[in-house]
Amino acid sequence: MIATIRSEWIKLRTVRSNVTTAIVATVISLAISLLSVTFMGESNIDSGTLPGLIVGWGPVAVLLIGVIGVLCITQEYSQGTIRLTLVATPSRLRVYLAKAVVVATVGAALTGAIVLLGNVVGSAIIDARDVPALDSNPDATPAFLAMILMGTVVAMLGMAIGALTRNPPSAITILVLWPLLVEGIVGGLISLALDDDVARWMPFQSGLISLSLELPEDGFGRWGSLGYFAAWVLFVSLIAERSLKRRDA
Amino acid sequence: MITVEGLTKKYGSTVAVDNLSFTVEPGVVTGFLGPNGSGKSTTMRCMIGLDRAQSGRALFDGKPYSSLRLPLHEVGTLLDAGNAHASRTARNHLRWVATSNGMPVKRVDEVLEIVGLQQVAKKRVGQFSLGMKQRLGIASVLLGDPRVVILDEPANGLDPEGIRWIREMLRHLATRGRAVLVSSHLLSEMALIADSLVVIGKGRLIEQCTVDQFISRHAKKWVVVRSPQLGTLVDLARAKGMQVVTNENTAEVHGVESAVVGELAAGNGIVLHELSTQTGSLEDAFLEATAMSVEYHGRSEAPE
Repeated sequence: MIATIRSEWIKLRTVRSNVTTAIVATVISLAISLLSVTFMGESNIDSGTLPGLIVGWGPVAVLLIGVIGVLCITQEYSQGTIRLTLVATPSRLRVYLAKAVVVATVGAALTGAIVLLGNVVGSAIIDARDVPALDSNPDATPAFLAMILMGTVVAMLGMAIGALTRNPPSAITILVLWPLLVEGIVGGLISLALDDDVARWMPFQSGLISLSLELPEDGFGRWGSLGYFAAWVLFVSLIAERSLKRRDA
Repeated sequence: MITVEGLTKKYGSTVAVDNLSFTVEPGVVTGFLGPNGSGKSTTMRCMIGLDRAQSGRALFDGKPYSSLRLPLHEVGTLLDAGNAHASRTARNHLRWVATSNGMPVKRVDEVLEIVGLQQVAKKRVGQFSLGMKQRLGIASVLLGDPRVVILDEPANGLDPEGIRWIREMLRHLATRGRAVLVSSHLLSEMALIADSLVVIGKGRLIEQCTVDQFISRHAKKWVVVRSPQLGTLVDLARAKGMQVVTNENTAEVHGVESAVVGELAAGNGIVLHELSTQTGSLEDAFLEATAMSVEYHGRSEAPE
């Protein structure tokens, strides 16, 4: 298993487009947060500003990390390397798990880097500006932790979708349209019909709620929302692993 | 050695491989021969578990592929030279393959040297020619120094020099006691590379024999004669019931040995300027053997 994980790690980091996606995922959300605290009016900065910006742009980073998950498996099909992978490691479960471990770790590392750099550099910027000393925000740490976990979970979701479609464009489309469009439409229609807000039952929305500093009153709470989304991802992953096992490579 | 037993693979209602059984012995190069679309690649994919066969199995020294813990040390496979990511370097490609089976990076550099790619080890595979990609594929086969080697159309698209290189590599592996199975749809190519043949058509085994047996069994032979009294000789031969085709200066006598034609001429005082045995091309022999099984056999249906 260790050998398979090491092999998957070499595969992921030796393709330039994967590295580019990882850099873009980290830099975009980080840059927006840092530029915002640099140019924001001083009177508007309070203890929730920097954490709010970091987790507020978190979904962008998290979706791009999901794209890395998609790529790690779909590029094996588009380039034909999946055959060599399965020839080298006939256990498809082991291949799936090794890939999942690698993309989940990468997802956590990238979101972790965003949180760490965002806080260190962001605080330095705020300190350099003419802002009175800020208290620490009690909701920041749990929200940051939720963001790192979301990086992990969405990376695995991307991989599961990729394993099902085997095709980069369609997998990325599904990954992006799911939270942006599908859940909005489905959730909106059900809300109209039931005269009730069902956003918390939408898996991706629920996962993203866990990134908020201030949680909605009637939700599942931070860890409940995240756990609900993770359960959905586990379900999709089980179908994906089954598909990898059953279909001809 | 490889033992394939009753392998059957269907795609929907199409039978790609039909109850196929054969063996591949160590120490010889076995050619896996069949027309395009006869099921060679499907058979190979089923053997190593990439595709699921409906029934039957393939055993490598008695074990199915899926039970091998570090398969690259036991079976080396080259299915398609394109099975490398275009934007990875040759060395990085071999690194992930080697690492997956617990081999050190040192081994990667060794095989790069064996196949003569050490100069371009840090180039992206996308910039490689087909010949270089084939060499890279062979390098991944050699990584684990396996006892069994399976190659699907390794000579496809190679120049004569590349084909000679592959041939020498396979010979070398066979001499060292490896069991080598190599597929091709060209008998002429196989005749140069292989000792033994597994011939299939439409997914069924046609025969398993040596290359020489196959050629003597299926290649046509005829006797060519040239003589100033050709007309007389042809009449005599036809009178004896021989099949004769006449050309401008020569005649082809089918179905008899050259000795028979020579004796016939001598017995009648006919001067011969040429008496020789001709053999039909290998391709013709192959086409004849597989004619019955070629899936898209050209039919000439004359409209009434």
